Amino acid sequence: MGIKHEQSLTTSKKGTSALAVTKGRPRAVRNLIPKHRKTWFPRKRYDESTNLKEGTCRKTWFPRGQMKIQQMAFMIVAVFFFFALVGLFFLNIQLKDIKGGSAQLQKEQAISSLKVIADMPELNYDSSETMTVDEDKIRVMSGNFSADYDLFWPVASIGIYKIYPAFNAVKKCPASNCNFYEIYDNGQTNVKTYSTYVSICKKVKELGSIYDKCEVGKLVVGVNINE
Amino acid sequence: MKKAQFNFVWLFALFVGGAILVFAIFGAMKAGDTMRFQSDTEIAKSISIITDPMQASFGEGSFGKITFSQETRINNICFSGQFGKNDISVATKSDVGEEWNLAGGATSIHNKYIFSSEKNTGEEYYVFSKPFDFPYEVSDLIFLTPKDYCFIGAPGDIADEIIGLNIPNIKIENCTVADAIKVCFGGGSNCDIEVYGSCSSGCNSAYDSGTVVKDSVVMNYVGNLMYAAIFSDKLIYDCNVERLMYRTAKIAEELVSKTDLMDIRGCNTNMKADLIMWRGLTLNADSGGIVSLRTRANEVERKNDRELCSVWE
Repeated sequence: MGIKHEQSLTTSKKGTSALAVTKGRPRAVRNLIPKHRKTWFPRKRYDESTNLKEGTCRKTWFPRGQMKIQQMAFMIVAVFFFFALVGLFFLNIQLKDIKGGSAQLQKEQAISSLKVIADMPELNYDSSETMTVDEDKIRVMSGNFSADYDLFWPVASIGIYKIYPAFNAVKKCPASNCNFYEIYDNGQTNVKTYSTYVSICKKVKELGSIYDKCEVGKLVVGVNINE
Repeated sequence: MKKAQFNFVWLFALFVGGAILVFAIFGAMKAGDTMRFQSDTEIAKSISIITDPMQASFGEGSFGKITFSQETRINNICFSGQFGKNDISVATKSDVGEEWNLAGGATSIHNKYIFSSEKNTGEEYYVFSKPFDFPYEVSDLIFLTPKDYCFIGAPGDIADEIIGLNIPNIKIENCTVADAIKVCFGGGSNCDIEVYGSCSSGCNSAYDSGTVVKDSVVMNYVGNLMYAAIFSDKLIYDCNVERLMYRTAKIAEELVSKTDLMDIRGCNTNMKADLIMWRGLTLNADSGGIVSLRTRANEVERKNDRELCSVWE
């Protein structure tokens, strides 16, 4: 069983090029290459596609130019990865900016919403007074009525506490001696809250006279935090 | 190295180099677009936030100005249906290709009523608000416009309101601003917009209700909705009025429940039946029937004023 050698090579003579396929021993091939050109080098590899028996191999000749292309390809890939990494780095910084901007806008909205929500006609006691909520209205809104308002509120949660007299435990309304009205909660757990003091008033009739009975309250609104 | 190989290497390098260059330019353009989109989206959100103090609530109105560094387009799209919403988006002017870049992400505003044209273009925007009571306080109307207006023949109370708010883009009478939109009260010649008052009973002025005619399109108004009809497109106006009517009905529903609570603690009121009826009238009302509803609103208001335990102040 002999060894089958197959070479592919290109020869050139000062500006001309030709393709010659020669079968035989490597020495015979080497004779075809001009001695002053040492640009060819053999490479052995097993070729499964040719269905050769064990010990049989095909010898392929690669020119140095091809090697350079390979080097350049690797370099290009390296440069590509370098720029991709730089791009990802900047993208990361940019995304942090977006998250920061979004959080800042949400915070601003929550703070400005405190007054807006307290003065909404759905909660406000007297349209000529600011930061005064109607106890009857918040009682209605803390019931099933507020379900229609789910998309309406610009924040994640709204709650109103009665803070005087001081309490040890939060008791949700409606209940006797309750101190917390939950107007709206979108169910998010990752919420940051902002609060302001409000007056909680209702019209009362006592001993034939009607007056406004007001208590001190705290309006708490929550905004979603994106992490 | 042979010439053919040398050429191939260079061709390959040129091809790959070109591809990388094209890819880099494309990437840079996309990154620029993304940053612009981010900026425009932030501006739209900021508009939503900076209009918060515009909600006059207990005042007669308020005025503000938004200034951009370059010509900017603010798009206002209104969606009716229950509380509805105003979708506000911002687009900046482009130096290459299309005149306007694609608008940034829209900010949905459910609890405000922004009256403007669908597409507004300018560097300086004037924003002012007026409360809308029907008959109780419903909301504040926010008007957004980059244009100058000239009110001709405006009745005294309207002129006083404009002067009081010190709105620089609205001039009364002697109008010298070129390209200002002429708003004529009671008709006139060379008018862009005409306002006709039709209020005959229980009014402070004939212009408490009436019609605004703009580009041959008629819009009915009551109270401060007159400004809304002047400053906005018919589409935006009708949509926002429907939203306002729905909210009016929902507040009536809430007040009905409030009357029950008042009755329980002995602060009795007779407003429940009127409020139930008022809710039914306003729930699906639109701008077409708003003038006829005004009479009924006045009756409900008068009745509430007579109550010892009034349902709203």
